[in-house]
Amino acid sequence: MNECERIEQSLGRWLDGELSAAESEVVRAHVSGCARCGAAQKTFEKLERVIGNVLVAAAPRIEFASFWRDLERRMHDRPPWHKELGERVHAWFAAPRTAWVIPALIVVVLAVFSYDSYFPFWRSRSNLATVESIDAYGRSVAILREDESKTTVIWLYQNQEGDDEAAEETPQPGPAF
Amino acid sequence: MKLLKKLPSRVLLFSWLTLVAAGTLGAAEKQPQTVQVSIGTILASNQSDEFDAKLKGMEGQLKVLKYRSYRLLKNESQSVPWRGEKVFEIPGGRTLTVTPQEFQDNQVSVKVRLTQGQKPALDTTVKIPNKRNFILAGPQHEGGILVLSISASAQ
Amino acid sequence: MELSDWELVQKCQSGEMSAFQELVSRYHQKVFMVILGLLRNRDDALEVSQETFLRAYRKIGGFQGGSSFYTWIYRIAVNLAIDAQRRQKRNPLDFRDNMDSLLESQNEVARDPFAEVQDRELRENMIKAINDLTPEHKAVIVLRTIEGLSYKDIGEILGCSEGTVMSRLHYARKKLHDKLSSFL
Repeated sequence: MNECERIEQSLGRWLDGELSAAESEVVRAHVSGCARCGAAQKTFEKLERVIGNVLVAAAPRIEFASFWRDLERRMHDRPPWHKELGERVHAWFAAPRTAWVIPALIVVVLAVFSYDSYFPFWRSRSNLATVESIDAYGRSVAILREDESKTTVIWLYQNQEGDDEAAEETPQPGPAF
Repeated sequence: MKLLKKLPSRVLLFSWLTLVAAGTLGAAEKQPQTVQVSIGTILASNQSDEFDAKLKGMEGQLKVLKYRSYRLLKNESQSVPWRGEKVFEIPGGRTLTVTPQEFQDNQVSVKVRLTQGQKPALDTTVKIPNKRNFILAGPQHEGGILVLSISASAQ
Repeated sequence: MELSDWELVQKCQSGEMSAFQELVSRYHQKVFMVILGLLRNRDDALEVSQETFLRAYRKIGGFQGGSSFYTWIYRIAVNLAIDAQRRQKRNPLDFRDNMDSLLESQNEVARDPFAEVQDRELRENMIKAINDLTPEHKAVIVLRTIEGLSYKDIGEILGCSEGTVMSRLHYARKKLHDKLSSFL
């Protein structure tokens, strides 16, 4: 991009007073010494004048008294209930985009933590029963948990006397696992 | 902080309402109404090599006990309400009392009491994955030992 | 001593209707001009202007002075005008007719603002070119040209950044220039 093209890009901002003092001076200095950019400035200014004249000329003066009279009447008339409701609903949901980030984040976090409700097969890999408490009333107990067969075994050892009907004759079997 | 200040109060209200709704829904995770408790009473022994065909589905589990013979004596299934008790008759003058406690994370917590006559022989609380079982074995019976398969299915 | 806009707003918020009336008297013409610039139809612009102040009246309780009153009222006006513009189904030629009847009714054809707009064809083509812009581009042109607002203020009114205002203005002016270059 050459110098003239760069200046032309900045012409609008310069004439709108939106450039810094230093930038303005650069543009002004170039425009005053460049025929092409000088012509571009004149065309730009003419365009702005025409736009302004077209827009401003179309605006008649509004008589305030009648404007206020009509407005006051409207202010005292309530709108139809459905219009009011619609406006309220619209206002409630017309929040800045960033404001919806928080509820959206909450939903995402909850979804992540409750995924197992929807995908139970992803739940705890252990499908084994878990012994939470045990009281064998003085007897010995063995607990086996085997993953392969998904078996939890509670083995209750026999007491020396009186517990089971065949205690005396048969050897006391213990767990073979 | 600037961002927080800019957020309309109604959106913060929505966020709180979302949290509260989620919490309520979570807490009200649908609890099954009853538990189907099944007790399979099996006699394991080394007196023969017989393997009861009805126990085919449990073969892998029973082989852990390393007996040569397994025979299904009886199979009983009852619907039990939460915190309600159900007593099952076990051969040899024994009883098995099962009390489903709670259902959480797809697991059924059951309290089990084995009694010999009137005397308690074992009290245990076991968390069983829903529709699965655990084995209580050891009591002697007819030259072998009793193997009780206790399963719970929340409905 | 004349009260500032913010002081008038505070009086409105405590229920003084006369304060709101003063605000309307200050801004009704400016608001009307901006809306007319966007809608190009007098009756519609009048209707939307009334609606703008009505909405402002209803919402003034929530105005906390975060922006100036005029950028706030212009924001309402521009949003309503853009909504109305999208609903508008008038033929673009009607704008020209409206324009002519406006000019005639004003009896101001010979006044100075028209000294430069001598070529009727330029005027008609300008109107058409402005109407061909999107609502957002028309809004920046109107706010900058009629009200001479800064890019910052325009950005606040339209809810966009200064950079966006700048690029929209540049695009709109270039479009108008391209369509009217033979007349300029």
